[in-house]
Amino acid sequence: MPQIVKDTLENSPMILFLAALVIAPFVIPNQYIVQIMVFIGIYVILAQSLNLLNGYIGLIAIGHAGFYGIGAYTSAKLTVDAGLPFELAFLCAGLVAGAFGWALGRPTLRLEGIYLALATLGFNLIVWLVLLNWNSFTGGPLGIKGIPRPTILGWEVDTRTEYYFFILAVVVTVVFTMARLVNSRFGRALVAIREDQLAAAAMGVDVTRYKVQAFVISAFYAGIAGACYAHFVRYISPDSFTMLESFILLAILALGGSGNMIGPIVGAAILIAIPELFRAVAEYRMLLYGLVLIIIMQVRPQGLFGGHHYNLHLRLFDRGPRRTYRGDAFLPSEAEQ
Amino acid sequence: MSGFLEIERLGKDYGGVKAVHDVSLTVGEGEIVSLIGPNGAGKTTLFNCITGTASASEGQVRYLGQDITHLPPHRIAEAGIRRTFQHIRLFREMTVMENVLVGAHLTTSSGIASGILRPAWQKKEEHAARARVLEVLEQFEERLLPRVDQKVKVLSYANQRRVEIARCLVSTPRLILLDEPTAGMNPHETQGIVELIFRLRDAGYTLLVVEHKMRLVMNVSDRVVVLDHGEKIAEGPPAEVTENPAVIEAYLGQRENAAIE
Repeated sequence: MPQIVKDTLENSPMILFLAALVIAPFVIPNQYIVQIMVFIGIYVILAQSLNLLNGYIGLIAIGHAGFYGIGAYTSAKLTVDAGLPFELAFLCAGLVAGAFGWALGRPTLRLEGIYLALATLGFNLIVWLVLLNWNSFTGGPLGIKGIPRPTILGWEVDTRTEYYFFILAVVVTVVFTMARLVNSRFGRALVAIREDQLAAAAMGVDVTRYKVQAFVISAFYAGIAGACYAHFVRYISPDSFTMLESFILLAILALGGSGNMIGPIVGAAILIAIPELFRAVAEYRMLLYGLVLIIIMQVRPQGLFGGHHYNLHLRLFDRGPRRTYRGDAFLPSEAEQ
Repeated sequence: MSGFLEIERLGKDYGGVKAVHDVSLTVGEGEIVSLIGPNGAGKTTLFNCITGTASASEGQVRYLGQDITHLPPHRIAEAGIRRTFQHIRLFREMTVMENVLVGAHLTTSSGIASGILRPAWQKKEEHAARARVLEVLEQFEERLLPRVDQKVKVLSYANQRRVEIARCLVSTPRLILLDEPTAGMNPHETQGIVELIFRLRDAGYTLLVVEHKMRLVMNVSDRVVVLDHGEKIAEGPPAEVTENPAVIEAYLGQRENAAIE
């Protein structure tokens, strides 16, 4: 069988899933559902971003909404006040958040466990307070209004359906880059640090450098998610970037499972959809939300796709060698031959 | 011979407790030196000071003439020193292949951009690294090869020790520190490690070994260094050291069973 046919068959579930996502907005004419799917997409980006830290390198970051907010405000300010084109502002959102990631990571990444967690929580709090109180720059509690719809290389993203396709493209790109990144020498170093920092260092892994790099990459993606959010709702205020938001992200990883690529996607889809599904029983909504979390934690504490043993590398995005020994025959590398 | 690894008047105290005190030691290139002594004699502390895991309080460690005393562990690894750990420290959730690939971290160079974009050289590098891992695993006969895609946490204790050694070998370091490489192994498995140590010596590696099994020590060592209470009490060829009254008193005399095996 030719390699391409084999690959296609092996990847057929993912290809079908992607195809379904492309067709979905046409089959579901309901704009409200399309909107929810856009939000799910934004949270998938955020969850993947946090997954790199909490899942792969094992740093417990609990203030991720700080980077999310910085991204959203950067893109909003640059398009509304500076009149920058969307593409540029979008990229800057990631870069500025990444720069903050570096500034926060450099001094704090020597901290371990709960101390680092507290530092990130403090960061989130500071970002939120600055957004709330720096009236002249951030608009204070009123936030920023009239954020333009994106125009990408001449394509005006006007309708919700169009925005949905824009988000889908971003999500696919994020998952693609992440899947490749974690399944490379870089990703192996991250997991090695998570598993045993001392042994990783003894093998020549510069632990601090890798932690800072992972932090910056993670912040970059969170910033991108912020820009995606700002240009979709077109009005942002500090309330969207509180610690509650950070905790939702943690809940997504707890539910879906971290340390693999599928968990954050499934977690985001479920946790964002649940409140909407239960909208009919509005007063019990949060109760059910909590109940689902408790049940999952009881039945599967590592999350639905969790435990680091669930190594889903997304073959579609990453055709690098995986299995190296089958029975008595060596297959030094399948893809490259 | 001298000038390869030189330890000069090394000392390490933990809040007043002198774990290692005034130890000087030279290891020549291609030598197998064993470090023995009762539990708590400071053997592992000495290892930690050499590899940067612990920072020496006094004295100096020189490797190839370079002062490496206070370098961080990854810089010492860069200099070409690898170690195993007394208590196995593997990346438990990673496969045998992935564990050993991390050992090849410094002999590969792909980073963030090449990890995502996968240019031809990155694929070639990855391919070569995996081939190299298989080559190293072959030295362990059929112990590790069939398990190359299994997580190391499911392997037997002895196999985990082997993976630790493989993880060191993959980068072809010049100096390897083995901290009790045969702990938890039966006599047959121990013999396998002895043979491996001989093969490594023939391949030109320099080894510093901490070991409790005296027969192994007598068998493989060019030189034996005896530590007791953090101080060096004897040094010399194996046969000579076992005759040394101070050693017999400190170590062998009280632990006859250790002398037997």
